[in-house]
Amino acid sequence: MSAPCPCCQADIAPAVHRRGGGRSLARKTADSVGHAVTDVLQNEELAARPGLLQGLDPRVKLLTLLLFAVAASLVHSVWLLVALIALTMALAAASLVGVGSFARRVWASAGLLAFLVALPSALSWFTPGQVVVSLGPLSFTEPGLMGVATLVARVAAAAGFAILVIWTMRWTDLLRALSAMHMPDVVVATLAMTHRQILTLLRTVEQIHLARESRTLTRGTTRENRAWVTERMAFVMRKSMKTADDVYDAMLSRGFTGAMPSLVRLRTRPRDWMWAAASVALCVAIVIADRAVGP
Amino acid sequence: MRETDFVLEGVGHEYRAGTPALAAIDLSIGCGQHVAVVGANGSGKSTLLKILDGLVFPSSGEITAFGAPLTEVALEDPAFRRDFRSRVGFVFQEADVQLFCSDVRDELAFGPLQLGLPEDEVRRRVQEVAGQLGLEKLLDRPPYSLSGGEKKRVAIASVVTMESHVLLLDEPATALDPRSQVWLLDVLEAWKREGRTVVMATHDLSVAAEAADRLVVLSEDHTLVADGTPDEVLAQRELLLAVNLIHEHTHRHESASHRHAHAHGPGTDPDQAHGHGHD
Repeated sequence: MSAPCPCCQADIAPAVHRRGGGRSLARKTADSVGHAVTDVLQNEELAARPGLLQGLDPRVKLLTLLLFAVAASLVHSVWLLVALIALTMALAAASLVGVGSFARRVWASAGLLAFLVALPSALSWFTPGQVVVSLGPLSFTEPGLMGVATLVARVAAAAGFAILVIWTMRWTDLLRALSAMHMPDVVVATLAMTHRQILTLLRTVEQIHLARESRTLTRGTTRENRAWVTERMAFVMRKSMKTADDVYDAMLSRGFTGAMPSLVRLRTRPRDWMWAAASVALCVAIVIADRAVGP
Repeated sequence: MRETDFVLEGVGHEYRAGTPALAAIDLSIGCGQHVAVVGANGSGKSTLLKILDGLVFPSSGEITAFGAPLTEVALEDPAFRRDFRSRVGFVFQEADVQLFCSDVRDELAFGPLQLGLPEDEVRRRVQEVAGQLGLEKLLDRPPYSLSGGEKKRVAIASVVTMESHVLLLDEPATALDPRSQVWLLDVLEAWKREGRTVVMATHDLSVAAEAADRLVVLSEDHTLVADGTPDEVLAQRELLLAVNLIHEHTHRHESASHRHAHAHGPGTDPDQAHGHGHD
């Protein structure tokens, strides 16, 4: 509820629940940033669960899930792609990451985006064929819709395997796996620092917006908000560059020679080899079957 | 035996032409001394530490470290660089910039591994330092998941594992709660017994007075204006007021009011006049 300011009689609205219960720009941004940080921390928790994929050697897991993603990109049969999507769901369940949230993440990000991008190609203007759906002047053809379904299923399957990598592997293990696979040290070091930088800057951005929220009495115009956001973006960029310099100084100070050695040694066990063999066999079988049944 | 670790003669530094960060500093730091560099924000304390660590170089004057000139060219020599980096450790003010590895274990191992120490020796050091500083449970955690105080401890530990003879600490008490500050003072005391040289930059006079046996004061115009024991320096009330390390303001106690000098930092008592701690 708003009240007049005792000195200037301006209407002082609370920072939240304005205009039909909408939240302020600062609050919305702070919440979004907070969710991003929470997501990262939640991934660490998921990766620590005693599931199927979490128990594998990070290198083996990274390579085999990448292999499945490549297989998905080679397959043309919608039914085989649906089978691969079902496989991602089964792996998610066996890895205790929550099938519902996994499916939402896959379809809300990659699936929906692929659908929106591919949908125009199903119009009769671009893909001739038997019209099966008409919406006013827009006509969608059967081959067009099959093409959209194939593309969406392929993207969803590949994205599913990628999300399984992220959700079932600690970031530190992912970096170690990349390093063990002879990714150049400079790339691994850059990835590690970028991840750290992003998290640090996310916290800074969250604090900036919360600080504004705590001092906000009136809503401000869209133009004012835009100017403020632009100015803060410039500030964060300057801070990011300064932090990068400081991090490099800190590395030099401890004798950085260009390498990022680690004390942790990854070990491959019999079940990793079994998993790898089964994955390769399955991927080969899927590609052969796809060639046999045709698109 | 060498008696001085660093000698600075007329050292000045400008990040931009015409904007000095340090001006004409003459300073000698003895082996095993604990020196606190005190001064207001922006007086050049951090720049002085970076010069001592060979991260920035004097725009004027010369610096000698362990009897050899410390220059950009000298640090390009791998043997000199390795020797210098193994002797000098730097704990940055902002722990976040110092924690760039994927987990705490690798963070503690980073320095010794860069120096080319055998892996068994590095593992021993990591376990030993983690045990000493109470970090065993944090070893497998990524640095971004730590609290501010934990990050500071890990930042200090990551330098301790290098077993450097000289430790440069930039605002070491920042982000530490009272218990951790006591822990820090104990660590500094242990380093003193081991004969390590410590140079710390701080504007917290209580930490400086407690942990250092020598105080060096930088003024707001980036010059060295005092150098002596903590008792000698902290007795110079007018000087501390002039360099903005303490300030005066009026207190009202019931019907009477009077002026006090204040220093910043928990539990500070800078000049026996009247000190207040400020968070």
